[in-house]
Amino acid sequence: MTFRLLAAGVVLASALGAVAASAEEFPSKPIRFVTPYPPGGATSLHAAIITTAAEPFFGQPMISIIRAGGGGVVGTTEVSKAEPDGHTVLFGDPTIISLRPQVEQLPFKADDFIPVARINYAPAVFVAGKNAPFSNLKEMTDYAKANPDKLVYSSDNVNGLTYVAFEMLKKETGTKMKGVEFGGGGPAITQLLGGNTMAYAGLPTVVGEHITSGAVKPICVADTQRWDGFKDVPTCTEAGAPIIWHFWLGALVPKGTPTDRVKRLSDGFGELVKDKGFLTLIGRINSRIDFQPHEEFAKTLEAERAALKALYVSLGKLPG
Amino acid sequence: MVIDSLLAGLAFLANPWTILAAGFGLVVGIVVGALPGLTATMAVAVLSPFTFFMDAAIGIPFLLGVYKAAIYAGSIPAITINTPGTAAAAATALDGHWLARRGQARKALEMSLYASVFGDLFATFVLIFAATALATVALRFGAPEFAALFLFSLTMIAAVSGGSMVKGLISAAIGVFIACIGLDPMSGYNRFTFGSVDLMGGVSLVPLLIGMFALSEILIRSESLATGAADAAIGRERLSWAEFRAVLPTLVRSSGIGAFIGALPGLGAEISCWIAYGVAKRRSKRPQEYGRGSLEGIAAAESGNNAVCPAALVPLLVFGIPGDTVTAILLGAFMAQGLTPGPMLFESHGATVYGLFAILLATNVMLLGFGLLAVRWLPRITLLPDGLLFPAVTILCFAGAYSVNSSLFDVFVMVAGGGAGYLMRKTGVPVPPLVIGLLLAPGLENSLRQTMMLSDNSLSIFVERPIAAGILALIALVVLGAAARNVTIPNLFRVQWRFK
Repeated sequence: MTFRLLAAGVVLASALGAVAASAEEFPSKPIRFVTPYPPGGATSLHAAIITTAAEPFFGQPMISIIRAGGGGVVGTTEVSKAEPDGHTVLFGDPTIISLRPQVEQLPFKADDFIPVARINYAPAVFVAGKNAPFSNLKEMTDYAKANPDKLVYSSDNVNGLTYVAFEMLKKETGTKMKGVEFGGGGPAITQLLGGNTMAYAGLPTVVGEHITSGAVKPICVADTQRWDGFKDVPTCTEAGAPIIWHFWLGALVPKGTPTDRVKRLSDGFGELVKDKGFLTLIGRINSRIDFQPHEEFAKTLEAERAALKALYVSLGKLPG
Repeated sequence: MVIDSLLAGLAFLANPWTILAAGFGLVVGIVVGALPGLTATMAVAVLSPFTFFMDAAIGIPFLLGVYKAAIYAGSIPAITINTPGTAAAAATALDGHWLARRGQARKALEMSLYASVFGDLFATFVLIFAATALATVALRFGAPEFAALFLFSLTMIAAVSGGSMVKGLISAAIGVFIACIGLDPMSGYNRFTFGSVDLMGGVSLVPLLIGMFALSEILIRSESLATGAADAAIGRERLSWAEFRAVLPTLVRSSGIGAFIGALPGLGAEISCWIAYGVAKRRSKRPQEYGRGSLEGIAAAESGNNAVCPAALVPLLVFGIPGDTVTAILLGAFMAQGLTPGPMLFESHGATVYGLFAILLATNVMLLGFGLLAVRWLPRITLLPDGLLFPAVTILCFAGAYSVNSSLFDVFVMVAGGGAGYLMRKTGVPVPPLVIGLLLAPGLENSLRQTMMLSDNSLSIFVERPIAAGILALIALVVLGAAARNVTIPNLFRVQWRFK
């Protein structure tokens, strides 16, 4: 009897000890940081910098896992099904997290993830080709109105960043333009530079250099304020079309991850984004940090999802 | 002007750490390239973060060394064990392994090394002296031009179909079908995925290649294991100067093809090796030797794929546009050093750019040195007893297939590819057309559909644009030329019996 009690007590104590230990010792093994896109894009580049600098802020190495396929669906699905212990983190963005789960049949839903931290954001910048018959938003709109479906723009993917930017522009200006999907920002801007299309909307990291060199004409920035790098370029709202469309990169974990671990990860990222070496590298790739901790990030995401849903309902692509 | 800048760039080579880093990169690249499943892309992606905190004169040469050595070294296992180490070495396996089985592994390896270095050197000079001009031409390639170019590349199936054109086309059709699996590239609809998340990403090329080439080879050779001692000849025979001189025109032509394809965004070394191989066979005086140990075939494939490496830097450096995945990762590594590739780079960091060119040239010489060292010993692999070699290669197949995407599903793809490859060999259906179909179909589909969107579904866009029209004319010429050679009047009646 005594022996049994003792044994039960030992088991109980060790179990409690284990719980206490796991609560204290998170992260207890290397963290998998999953990028759902092929190497070479903006996402994998940010992931490489984050995972290079992360270890001191998490007490464990962070390993960059590149799991591309299906336009981000394969990697995202894997994370949604991973053990929710905080050791598997998805590097997400608005299309794969907020938009596509709402408008496409995907193996995961938006609320399969808990937001951990937004690392940065950048607005979409509308640009026109060097030889395009318009140089600002008004001329562009006039051209599109006079020539319906003749203004051909480089798009990325259906429900992608550029795709959504132009859907917003077409809705705001009441114009018809024709998008050709080239599968990504790189090929899309190449086609614009080669004069095969007339316009494009992309991130400052993609279009910045070409604006500076004069290879493309800036039209407007889809943000509430002008972008630091090019102060001369008006916001779309100033130019007459109130469009705000941000592309963020942020960390998310599968649903069911304990809140204290979400907070621990969020705090870790919060310290990381203040690191000098990290900031130097981020600056060099023309990115800038705009950190949001997990609670704030969750609110941002909620608002973003509602706005995108409203957009797609008004486009007739979703039932109201 | 260019020469002066280049001489100034040579100063970069005075830094012993630069040379050491490049040399270390080459060694890493050779190992990675030679292991099936470890690709140049993966190696550069994994290693590039380590260079972020290094000096640009150390980190960038290291990555460039990895890149070019990995593309070269893919030919080593292709020749010695019929397992292309990278997808770009698939064409090399056709002739290289044939020679190795007949005790001429060293000759094949030397041919591959010289061809790689030649192609690389050729394209480096193109990069140095004609980067801007070539990039301007490449930029003129829109969707219609790419569609025409992919169509032209499909004619290469004829060159690798072996005896029977019908079986070649069957094989190519299977390849095209496999390429259709996954998400529709433009609308995102599921095609043949049966609800499987793994299939949404499509069937991965590298695991399939490993299965079709390596695993099926093991299965075939296991049948005759008892008599396996037959090829225990020593692969000591070296490449003669006469043999090298004979393939020189092929080297120049293939390097040109590789350099041009490398400068075009989106094709890459995997496709360029087949185009170079096909064109070389078509122009050859001895086309019947292709697939049966033709040194010309090895020379064409290897110079064709290695010329892509420096050429892929053309659009990257001139416009900041990466042409393939590896250069996209290099773009990141450059940016992390504060060297943003693009129109401003030559002005703001001219010295560094020419230093880079000098390093590219130096790594070529070093690659030759390392390669010659390796080539002395590598033929011994072919002397290993089958009982030792086969299990080792089988393990490599499984490990390689898994490591590409850390995916168990890819292992199943590899095994399925092995079974399919075995059946195809047994029935005389050639494997290379399948690979070409698989490689070309996505690009052809995308560019054709983009073209149709640009032109409102009018085919006239292909003749209205001069470059596209030119490529189409070339296709007509090639097809008619082949027809004129083979279908003479008496042949026309015999044609049905010519299928085996």
